[in-house]
Amino acid sequence: MDKNTEIAKRDDRNIEKTRELYEAAPAVDIYENEDEILLVADMPGVIKEEVSVNIDNGRLALSGIRKLESGGVASWEEFGNVEFVRNFSVPQTIDVENVKADLKNGVLTLHMPKSEEAKPRQIEIKTA
Amino acid sequence: MFTRFSDIDRLFGTMDMLRQRLDNLYTDYNRPYRSTWLMEDGFLRANLYQSGDAFEMRLEVPGMDKDALDIKIQGNYLEISGKRDHNVPDGYKVHKTERLNGTFSRSFTLPDDVDGARVEATLKDGVLYLTLPKSEAAKPRQIAIS
Repeated sequence: MDKNTEIAKRDDRNIEKTRELYEAAPAVDIYENEDEILLVADMPGVIKEEVSVNIDNGRLALSGIRKLESGGVASWEEFGNVEFVRNFSVPQTIDVENVKADLKNGVLTLHMPKSEEAKPRQIEIKTA
Repeated sequence: MFTRFSDIDRLFGTMDMLRQRLDNLYTDYNRPYRSTWLMEDGFLRANLYQSGDAFEMRLEVPGMDKDALDIKIQGNYLEISGKRDHNVPDGYKVHKTERLNGTFSRSFTLPDDVDGARVEATLKDGVLYLTLPKSEAAKPRQIAIS
């Protein structure tokens, strides 16, 4: 076993954390219509298994970890392994059960439907 | 107590992390630095790796189809251009648009000539991987000692 792998293995067994991934805030677009709030976030290089979306008490936490295979000797490197993290406040009226997330080509799309009570309602005017 | 250098490294690593966390406590705790897809001057972010007979290049291209990208190679000159247009979905009100839109182009001068015919490009999870084999003339050659 060469020294590098030995040290890497010891790192895995550590109880305390010593290194953290860089955190970056992904660029997002937020749209809304009467039925849902739509959030789109750029997370290039993130795979489905490494994405987590948490909605808890009006707080939406997005996280996606990018782990790229090492490519060899780097001549230059402008991006690397990173954790995309971003938190938002969302209205309490989100129907958490029916939130749908979709990851395609490194873009996360999150559909957050509004619960029935929160949807705008047309009021009919009755003539007396 | 410390039998290996990695133990000392570990100890300092943990202390560094604690210090960073304390530093961030008041200024930007829980507010990580912003990253946008394009660098400030409109360039795509790219990595270049070298092995003996090929280059490997990686570029961040989130949300782009292969049709939207255009790759050109001539000798050691590589140009990547493309277009990203995502329109506001119909009937939606806009709250925030940070993701950039429009055309972009970036060109590179590689350290060696590339065999343009054998270049391979794959698109995976929003990252473009280019394998660029060096041309025969640029490859390392074994020299026999006579």
